Amino acid sequence: MKKPQKKFIIAMLLALMAVVVFATAVGAVYVPFVQTVKIILKNFGFIKNAEFQSGHESIIFYIRFPRVLVAVMVGAALATSGAVMQGIFRNPMADPGTLGVSSGASLGAVVAIALGLTTRSLYVMPVFAAAGALTVAFVIFVLSLRSGKISPLTLILSGIAVSMFVNAITSVVLSFARSDQVKEYIFWTTGGLGSRRWEHLAIGIGPILICGALLFLFSRELNVLMLGEEEAYALGLDPSKARKIMLFLSSITTAAAVSVSGNISFVGLIVPHIMRLIVGPDHRALLPASAVGGALFLVLCDVVARTVIQPEEIGVGIITSLLGAPYFLSLLIKTRKEGALL
Amino acid sequence: MVDSKGQAVVIKDLHFRVNGLEILKGINLTVNKGEFVGLIGPNGAGKTTLLKCINGINKAEGTILIDGTPLNQLKEKEIARNVALMHQDTSISFPFPALDVVLMGRYPHLKRMQRESANDYKIARKYMEYTDTLKFEKKPVTQISGGERQRVIFARVLTQETEIILLDEPAASLDISHQEQIFKYCCELIAAGKTVIAAVHDLKIAARYCSKLVLIQGGKIIAQGIPEEVLTSHNMSKAYGVNAIVYRDKVTGQLDFYLYNGRDDVRGTSVHVLGGGGSASGVIRELFEKGYKISTGVLAHGDSDLMCAEIFGIDYIACEPFSEISDEAFALNVDKIKDAQITILCNMPFGKQNIRNLEAAQYANRLIIIEDDPPEARDFTDGKALRLYGLLRQRAEVVPSARLHEVI
Repeated sequence: MKKPQKKFIIAMLLALMAVVVFATAVGAVYVPFVQTVKIILKNFGFIKNAEFQSGHESIIFYIRFPRVLVAVMVGAALATSGAVMQGIFRNPMADPGTLGVSSGASLGAVVAIALGLTTRSLYVMPVFAAAGALTVAFVIFVLSLRSGKISPLTLILSGIAVSMFVNAITSVVLSFARSDQVKEYIFWTTGGLGSRRWEHLAIGIGPILICGALLFLFSRELNVLMLGEEEAYALGLDPSKARKIMLFLSSITTAAAVSVSGNISFVGLIVPHIMRLIVGPDHRALLPASAVGGALFLVLCDVVARTVIQPEEIGVGIITSLLGAPYFLSLLIKTRKEGALL
Repeated sequence: MVDSKGQAVVIKDLHFRVNGLEILKGINLTVNKGEFVGLIGPNGAGKTTLLKCINGINKAEGTILIDGTPLNQLKEKEIARNVALMHQDTSISFPFPALDVVLMGRYPHLKRMQRESANDYKIARKYMEYTDTLKFEKKPVTQISGGERQRVIFARVLTQETEIILLDEPAASLDISHQEQIFKYCCELIAAGKTVIAAVHDLKIAARYCSKLVLIQGGKIIAQGIPEEVLTSHNMSKAYGVNAIVYRDKVTGQLDFYLYNGRDDVRGTSVHVLGGGGSASGVIRELFEKGYKISTGVLAHGDSDLMCAEIFGIDYIACEPFSEISDEAFALNVDKIKDAQITILCNMPFGKQNIRNLEAAQYANRLIIIEDDPPEARDFTDGKALRLYGLLRQRAEVVPSARLHEVI
């Protein structure tokens, strides 16, 4: 990684820390920043004998802070997966959402709920979500990569078709569910971070950290893949094998995020794209930048989702869609006009 | 890997199929170390396919030995440390800086997570310097021209530092100076003991630089050897389906080609051409393409019309330069003229040396005079030739060279 890229990522990390504190402090009940930091530090055992206004401690540490951390985790996971998928498919419009991988994960989660298995173990849902995500990833792989060349738009169109198909099955499953479970449908299709607690963080953090780290190890391979299928081969990289591994890892990462937050769209699309404009296409810088950028983006979107119509809140997925869909459209038009990938 | 025989690549009975269609049909080829092999042949002959088989992108049936080791026993990275391939299509759609693209040539030499060392950067910069691309090392490859990008990719291929280098149309989008340059680089690589196998479109360049040519047609090797052996009229017509005359250009000393349309309407008509000083070349070419039985004379040695006659392989009568036509040559010339159904007198200058050609023209059965410039301007005999010419003109058909086809 080159110096300016490193500096940029460190600056974003610092910004993320500040934004985490800010996001934890704001809400229906305002808690001053210093108090917020103190509450967090006290509960981690760093400081003792601190007194707080009644209720603040539980609001901050048991409600808002874990929710913000879930946003960090999910944002980072989705943006990293998006960056990897854009690299694998050499397509700036690819992301877990447009390829249908997120929908697959949602379906898996809904099936787990409908079968009533979620009470057995905390990890049933992520496993089902992963199964759903991998199924869709496999279909996309067969459709696009095995046959060789596929145009960027065809890939997105097939992703949308797969997505719609999977969403239809999700609706079918939910129509067999009890009426109180049906409103869950909205959660799984548009995504949200409402009432996400420490246990949700616990569900996702393991697979996301492991797969994310492994993906980072593949960043040089991703760079080589960018040169093209046969160029990669000539440099000693089996592109098909590398893609399979990376698609697998990014699908698991997506599934872990989706099983916590539902299907939040466009994070994996916008963030890597903007980061590529700033740090360039080198994945050794792009992947960490996307992870931090994704976290930053989702935390901020969640603040808007919580505060814009207080005391009610809207799903964070709606905010990301409102921002992401126009961006996606402009990208689509640009791609058509230039006939290029970027 | 050391191979005492010095064979860089050995290919035995190689077959390659795509969707049931056989693209390569039993290729046998041995490339020795330090050879510069040019793969030539028409489009779709299988040149690119063969190159891709040699580095394992195409999984073919048969045996390929890389420096004595079977290809299928080598891992991808091991192949990439021995064989580099520069593809025909060098487009890159992501804006990597040129230096980063060249550095990717070090990929097969690096372990996972191993960072490029200062030495890797040194190697990359060395080859960028060599290919004249260092000046835009920081520029995104999406913002440089096609030719510049091709040189960047060539630098990347060199940065792989392999013993065997495969090039697929390496000069496809290069201007003429860089085109020559890339082949000169190849010769330098050969001098350094490396082996280059290149698919080359331009036969003249291939003949000039390659130490060995391999002519492929329809998935088979139909000729291989030194350029003169491979680039024959026979092979050219077999591979490309064209009529070609292959000759060594006396000026450049290089092999050159003259392609002409089929001589399917070969006429038995015999024509004798009186020319000299370059006036007959165009006429001979036109007659040759139309399939006439041609003879020419008397021409002085060293005359370009005589070279033309040699290239087209037609009968000619020659004499010493700067001297008058001998009696013997004159007699031979008259015989030829008497035998020929048509005699053509070209738009040539008349001097003491060749005035006897005008005398000989009197014996023509049918005389055609080509007149582009007034004869007065071409007379260097103080009117003697002009008088003869005037007599000939009375009984001849006179046309400018552009309208020769109307009278024959």
